[in-house]
Amino acid sequence: MNHRRPCLAVMLLLLIAIVIIDPAFGETVYVAAKSAQLRSGKTSLDPVVGSLKLGETLEVVKRDDRWLQVLTTKGVTGWIYSANVSPSKPMAGDNELAALGQSVRRTDASAVTASAGARGLDRASEDYAKRSGITQQQRDAVDRMTTYKISDEEIQAFLKYGRLGEYAD
Amino acid sequence: MQTKTFRGLMVSGLVLLSIGSPTGCAEIQQAAENAARSSGNERLAKTIHGGGNLIGGMLPIGYEEEQTIGQAIALQVISRYGGVYDQPDLTRYVNLVGRAVALTCDRADIEYRFAILNHDSINAFAAPAGYIFVTRGLLKTIRNEAELSTVLGHEIGHVTQKHILDVIQRSKQIAGVADAGLAYANKNPEAFKTVIDGAVKKLLDEGLDQGKELESDRLGVVFASRVGYDPTAYVTFLERLRTIKGDDKAFFKTHPKFSDRLTVVQSSIREQGLKATGILLADRFSKTSNGIL
Repeated sequence: MNHRRPCLAVMLLLLIAIVIIDPAFGETVYVAAKSAQLRSGKTSLDPVVGSLKLGETLEVVKRDDRWLQVLTTKGVTGWIYSANVSPSKPMAGDNELAALGQSVRRTDASAVTASAGARGLDRASEDYAKRSGITQQQRDAVDRMTTYKISDEEIQAFLKYGRLGEYAD
Repeated sequence: MQTKTFRGLMVSGLVLLSIGSPTGCAEIQQAAENAARSSGNERLAKTIHGGGNLIGGMLPIGYEEEQTIGQAIALQVISRYGGVYDQPDLTRYVNLVGRAVALTCDRADIEYRFAILNHDSINAFAAPAGYIFVTRGLLKTIRNEAELSTVLGHEIGHVTQKHILDVIQRSKQIAGVADAGLAYANKNPEAFKTVIDGAVKKLLDEGLDQGKELESDRLGVVFASRVGYDPTAYVTFLERLRTIKGDDKAFFKTHPKFSDRLTVVQSSIREQGLKATGILLADRFSKTSNGIL
């Protein structure tokens, strides 16, 4: 019983020391990039130890220049580039009012929007094009634009080649 | 009498539920409308129907609706600006720069798509749901990738702040076409056309409010800077535009004066502590664009 007290006191002192040494400890941040990489070290040359999604909650362990050491909700610790996080939770999808508005206006998504991004022009836009005398060539252009794909890996390679973002010197 | 009161309460409850619940409220509203009709109160049924449309007209536009609107506006932009410039490598490059900037913008959860308009004028446009356009004339004026990143950042800013949707939301109320409900585009194509044509007129002919343009100027440098591009590239670009355009009245009909824009951008860089990184990537830009603009 008696020798437990000093042990507890030491642990408490250690905890206080950590908080004093690094004020970032325990701070919550959110992934602000569409996709982001968690690395084992604070350079883009360090191996990726996990992929993070937009809005994911992270606990800051340490800050170091342009990088943050963080702890994920899954218990994984790693480093993330500081521009990829935000102190406030990023906007994701419709807010409640927009969802309510869409619902009140009785959106029949399958009939009206037909998933832009997957199949190109939707029915309502096609109809608008016909009524407005927009040519087939111009409709095809918006269709191609809607379905245009670039992978996240390609964007990362582009950033890396340009030494941008986390790949900067 | 008691039965009528009970039915009235039930109908009122259903109406309140339809307003309060984001999911399935259309069904609840329909149930309330049906209940009022079956109780013989046609007037109340019509009121519930109209009330739903009125509420729908005042509430913000959802993402699915935004995509429909974005596509329709994109069709008009392409139609009025000579179609798209068919240069696959340059289009890919503009998309890579734009998507790199969009990766950490304030609305990173949606897709952004970029196209080049085959037009000599110096201009760029953003339609809802991330449909962004730059003219061939604008690309000719740009000297490096950092300038392009800030221009695209400005257009992304219009999308993140839902500037055009705001115009539509207001015009719906002003023009009294709220009854159409944008999601009824198939059932009310004429009303949908009225809404879109109004938005296109604002975007291409009249221009957005100057406050919205200045807000996008501020955001453009912030978004580009997050990726590491030098934000001062936008200052250089705007100064070049000022030299080219001078006091072109047609241009200032749709945009704030360059002196105001430069002041806003410079104070944004200063206040946000954005670093002049020196990353301009002029070689990569000229390598991709030389000889094809």
